[in-house]
Amino acid sequence: MRRVSRREFNLGLAGLIGGLAVGCAQTGTPAPAVGQQPSQPTFPKEIKVGAVYPLTGPAASSGLDGRYGIELAVEIINGKYDLNLPLAREEGLPNLGGAKITVVWADSQGSPEKGQAEAERLITQEKVVALTGAYHSSVTATASQVAERMGVPYVNFESSSPSLTERGFKWFFRTGPHDAIFGKNLFDMLRDLEKAKGIKVRTIGIVNENTLYGTDASKITKQYAQEYGYQVVVDIAYPANTSDVNSEVQRIKAANPDVLFQVSYTSDLILFIRTYKQLDYTPQMILGYGAGFVDPQYTKTLGKDADYAITRAAWSADITQKRPAAKVIAEMFQQRFGQPMTENSARSFTGMLVLADAINRAKSLDPEAIRQALLATNIPGEQTVMPWPGVKFDEKTHQNIYAQGVNLQIIGGQYYTVWPFDLATREIVWPMPKWGQRQ
Amino acid sequence: MTAELLIQVVVSGLLIGFVFALISVGLTLIFGVMDIVNFAHGEFLMLAMFTAFWLYALFGVDPLFSVLACGPLLFLVGVLTHKLLIKHILNAPMLAQIFCTFGLSVFLKSLAQFLWGPNFRSVTEPLLGGRIELFGVFFGLPQVTAALGAVAATGAVYLLIYRTELGRALQATSEDRQTAALMGIDTEKMFTLAWGIGAGCVGVAGALLAMFYYIYPEVGTIFALTSYVVVALGGFGSVTGALVGGLIIGLVQVVSGFFSPAFKMVVVYLVYLAVILIRPQGLFGRW
Amino acid sequence: MVRFLGLGLLLLGLLLFPLAVELPYPQHVMILIFLYAMMGLAWNIIGGYAGQVSLGDATYFGIGAYTTAILLRELNLSPWVGMALGALNAVVVSLVLGYPCFRVRGHYFAIATIALNEIVATIFTNWDFVGGAVGIYVPILPESFVNLQFHRSKAPYYYIALGMLILVILLNLWLSRSRLGYYFRAIRADQDAARALGIDITRYKLIAYALTAAITSLGGSFYAMYVLYIDPTSVFAFSISLLVVLVAVLGGVGTVAGPILGSVILISLSEGTRVLLGGTGRALDVAIYGLLVMAISVLQPQGLVAWFRALRQPKAREVKVGRAPS
Repeated sequence: MRRVSRREFNLGLAGLIGGLAVGCAQTGTPAPAVGQQPSQPTFPKEIKVGAVYPLTGPAASSGLDGRYGIELAVEIINGKYDLNLPLAREEGLPNLGGAKITVVWADSQGSPEKGQAEAERLITQEKVVALTGAYHSSVTATASQVAERMGVPYVNFESSSPSLTERGFKWFFRTGPHDAIFGKNLFDMLRDLEKAKGIKVRTIGIVNENTLYGTDASKITKQYAQEYGYQVVVDIAYPANTSDVNSEVQRIKAANPDVLFQVSYTSDLILFIRTYKQLDYTPQMILGYGAGFVDPQYTKTLGKDADYAITRAAWSADITQKRPAAKVIAEMFQQRFGQPMTENSARSFTGMLVLADAINRAKSLDPEAIRQALLATNIPGEQTVMPWPGVKFDEKTHQNIYAQGVNLQIIGGQYYTVWPFDLATREIVWPMPKWGQRQ
Repeated sequence: MTAELLIQVVVSGLLIGFVFALISVGLTLIFGVMDIVNFAHGEFLMLAMFTAFWLYALFGVDPLFSVLACGPLLFLVGVLTHKLLIKHILNAPMLAQIFCTFGLSVFLKSLAQFLWGPNFRSVTEPLLGGRIELFGVFFGLPQVTAALGAVAATGAVYLLIYRTELGRALQATSEDRQTAALMGIDTEKMFTLAWGIGAGCVGVAGALLAMFYYIYPEVGTIFALTSYVVVALGGFGSVTGALVGGLIIGLVQVVSGFFSPAFKMVVVYLVYLAVILIRPQGLFGRW
Repeated sequence: MVRFLGLGLLLLGLLLFPLAVELPYPQHVMILIFLYAMMGLAWNIIGGYAGQVSLGDATYFGIGAYTTAILLRELNLSPWVGMALGALNAVVVSLVLGYPCFRVRGHYFAIATIALNEIVATIFTNWDFVGGAVGIYVPILPESFVNLQFHRSKAPYYYIALGMLILVILLNLWLSRSRLGYYFRAIRADQDAARALGIDITRYKLIAYALTAAITSLGGSFYAMYVLYIDPTSVFAFSISLLVVLVAVLGGVGTVAGPILGSVILISLSEGTRVLLGGTGRALDVAIYGLLVMAISVLQPQGLVAWFRALRQPKAREVKVGRAPS
């Protein structure tokens, strides 16, 4: 029987020394000094903003959407474009001597722990003046904790868990709407439809994936169902990324709710819709909580089977009819990245402009000055590409009080705004046709 | 619960069960001969699905026919895996092999994202699309085709293993590689074949699955864990076990999913645990 | 003498590191290395010494994290108490789960541990009291050692992780020389022979498993206080179970140096490739990580410790000549 030899033990020590060396090597890249001496009149040439996104792993596709939006925004800020958007007409940030924005990217791989570490690295080593990201609500939660601790502004564009802006954080801001706003939009639409079109909805069903996103949305749906007087007849939380959803669909079919609220990411959603078709199930309407429904892969993958569902969204392509700048931006986006602009890209595009605008108004890179400038933000809706009345942060929660969603219906693979009625670009199709009656 | 609903649920469970079975047959084969759990098995499946997708998208070949391409291609991938990696660590501890196939899995997954991007793809209009209705019970045509394909492929592997000279040599190698070598069996050839055939099965499964499943770099992960459980339930190395295990797991998953969707996988795992507590070698395992 | 000098210098270097390198990210990498070295050593007890390949250690990581976070949130209990109770909890769970599972062997056992981890994770995901899928935000407390929270600097976390690692190293060293360790290895070598020798194999497997569970849960408790947010998908992740095994396998199973060395290399590799290439968004970082893992396993299947040993073999042989074979 062999004992652990001293030699082996020494090996472990050697390993630790190696680790030390690696750790030290990490420090070897001093970030270029960003002018933080207020006395100096010269402004820095570049201003670094950190962005944490899931660039690999299961959510990489959504992470890239967000990244493209930010890249386009940076192009608009740094270049000269005749568009009615903040900072478009000047090169760089005029109040900072035309300094350009550069984005330092970090990959969270969708993990709260990695997102947190990356946020910390971006702040301390890359010396970013502000942080954005991180798509997943759970990653945003931990990454923004770091920013809060270190006193660096964190502007989130797209995480939709309502709890994020209820933490009373001093440095955390959110430009996009959260799930409670989205949920209310869907129920408001139901009520409006009942009034305007005499549609009768009594019972609802909820099917949600059981991670943070789905659980939150399901909770909100149940709350509003009670408030608005609908009866929940079936409520299914299924494990995300499941290989088969036959049983879930059978349950829904047996309960037969008037409308079905569906909370799913792309992969599961594709499976659900195919199974609905296979088992010949159609409710009056499927109401989606974004995510899978607004992923371009959804319509691309399912073709005409994707049609007729209504989804909440933070953005829709037909907003371009109301906002001239949005039209140009959407075209630029398509040309630059070879794929249509999505709500993820639109939200991060807008958010990045809001952040840059605040830095510009702060006239300095001092975090507190940027924070104050963010608090003073008041951008009218026309100067965004969003269906919002504008951008203005709540003093306490730092949630954009004007953020709201629209409800879109998918018809012929295209998204049309059907609610609010005054923004609608197409008459709603209700109920959705049964599978057999579609062409 | 009406009788119709019950039949529908059972049918759905069996249909997906056949696909699980085919995926697992490959895994159990490699295991039986090599005594290695291939952690890259899900990624082999993903590669096959992407192959089927690209044949469809670029050349309009229906997945039903690309079975003929995916099977041989994955056979090659399996052979390469053995020649380039596994061969060199045959005598290493089993853990080194876990380590190696884990690395392969990570590599293939990210390679797929590098080459094809993280987006979801799918075969939008398979040749055998749509569904058939029998006595109020619905069958998805692609699912039925996939199940039939799985039965055929599993049957072929079964005959190969238990009815041919080659199969007997494979069996002998899996029983005891030293003795097999003494009996004049070229064990190196058997190892290569096991990897080839095992991966080839997954190739066929991938093409069949591509008819109705979405395709993206992480898709293998969804099936990998289930197939490990199927293989262990049936007994490592047993083709019959993989088939029966696949059907049981498919059925259990769908039936328990009907009553308690959130806990459906819990029931699947409990069934596995219950079985191995009664039969520590799995349903059809030798040890 | 030289050896002790080396040891002293290394320890001094490790102690001074946070003072020399004040940036949090390098400190974070070191903390991760300590954490995974510690959990790799924990796995080493059941997987290395006793030879039972567990692929479900995340169960105990999660139990430690949740116990600590919940006791803090509900009862305002110090995280240190939470840590101790978490370890106790993990031991109880490991005995309950281990007892039936040790009836099966080899791969059946490995798959069973994965299945159990998935079951526990599902229960936590659907259990409202522990926050369900939303998880738990650990309450932010004033910075202090008692609260195990430090907001201005990572150095205290660094020293705590280092301290925990040293304790676990000492435990492993003791185990490798003790009667207990001898029984474990007898079980690994041949279960039936061990039984024939009168070793109660189930009992000793359970002891090994409980030790593994307790240490792993300490890692989980530390993680909860370090990241301050836990949810089922991050603390019960299969990737954690796998990483602790990989760390041990890479370095050398059943050795004390192995998991430490493995952790240093694997963590630096995965962090390094991500930092250098992760921003490209094309998964190159992960691809390179995967390639390196494959390369190491093919070139050095016995683990790095064996490789180092081989490097020094000529010398070792000389020594052996003069001695009776051990």
